[in-house]
Amino acid sequence: MTIWWLLLIIAAIFSLGGGFIWLALQLSGTRKPGVTRQDTLEGAEDDVEHIFNEEFREELRNRGRLHFEKILGENAMFLQQDLRLTTSQLNDYMRSEISRELKEAFLGYQGAIADARQLAVESIEKTKVVIDEERKSLVAQLEKEVTEEKERRIKQFEERMSEIINHYVLEAIGDQIDLGDQLEYILSEMEAHKAAILEDVRNGT
Amino acid sequence: MVPDQHDQHKPKSEPKLPVLVYGLVEVRRLLREIENVDDFMRQAVVREPGTQPGLPRVTRILDALATDNNRNLLQHGDRQELREFLSKIEKTSPTIHVSFASDPSSAFVSKLVTWLRGNIHPTVLLQIGLQPNIAAGCIVRTPNKQFDLSLRENLRNQRAKLIEALNISTSPQSPVPAAPQEAAA
Repeated sequence: MTIWWLLLIIAAIFSLGGGFIWLALQLSGTRKPGVTRQDTLEGAEDDVEHIFNEEFREELRNRGRLHFEKILGENAMFLQQDLRLTTSQLNDYMRSEISRELKEAFLGYQGAIADARQLAVESIEKTKVVIDEERKSLVAQLEKEVTEEKERRIKQFEERMSEIINHYVLEAIGDQIDLGDQLEYILSEMEAHKAAILEDVRNGT
Repeated sequence: MVPDQHDQHKPKSEPKLPVLVYGLVEVRRLLREIENVDDFMRQAVVREPGTQPGLPRVTRILDALATDNNRNLLQHGDRQELREFLSKIEKTSPTIHVSFASDPSSAFVSKLVTWLRGNIHPTVLLQIGLQPNIAAGCIVRTPNKQFDLSLRENLRNQRAKLIEALNISTSPQSPVPAAPQEAAA
């Protein structure tokens, strides 16, 4: 937009210069009757030199320069305003775009986070189920082993306890029993096994 | 041991083992003693008159064997019969091994041998062993079997009752036995 303004100003300056030139040419073309062309030309040259002398030219230059500077200043001001406006709009645009992008990114992140959280929750739930099953299995196995170990130790204790008591009884009363007093017991026991002894003796004989 | 001419004509029954002869050791000892008497008799025949040494001393079991069976050891026939009888006993009689917790007395062994020969076999021999860990009773071993008649085996067979008694005494419902001091008081 600023470029167009600049081109328009330059075009106005050139058209103004062209108008001055055309006016000068028209004024130089009006000749008096009876005057030769040569005289006219010379007279024109004198008039031109007289009208467009150095001071006049310098004045025109000054005016043109001032006008040019004024136009340049105005355009610069316009350009500055336009730049400020553009910057402002650009800032708004950038802000809105960044906000939108950030919102979209945040939405994406939130979705990803929600998905990840859901996956994590599902994984934790599965792990929890597996751990619960494993724990139940371990508890059952442990209870079974504890029960078996308990039964085994009780059985072992009972067996050893009976052996200990037997040994104690034998040690305690072994020396106190006279063999002579055992004769009736021994004979009665042998009487009870008489048939088996007799059969084995006969077979062995 | 004086020769008796009347005994030679009397019908003699089958010899029997005296109770004192209860083992294979005694049987072999009797055989050796009879051989010694035989040797003495053979030597006495060839010796000159007036130089006859005294008869060899016989043991109590040989004397019991001859007396119980009404045999005269000076008679060659009786000695031969006893020798054959003892050889037969040595080779064919069954042997029963009986282990006791302590060394049995002679009277005890005599009663046991009497019972065995009266109920099991008339010429059964006894071999006695020692097993102090059986406490009481005995372990009888026949040629093919073993009969544990000891107190140890009896207690072992009563193990179920012992465990049951232990369970009753150690169960929480059973009354706590009084302390010795309280019982004494």
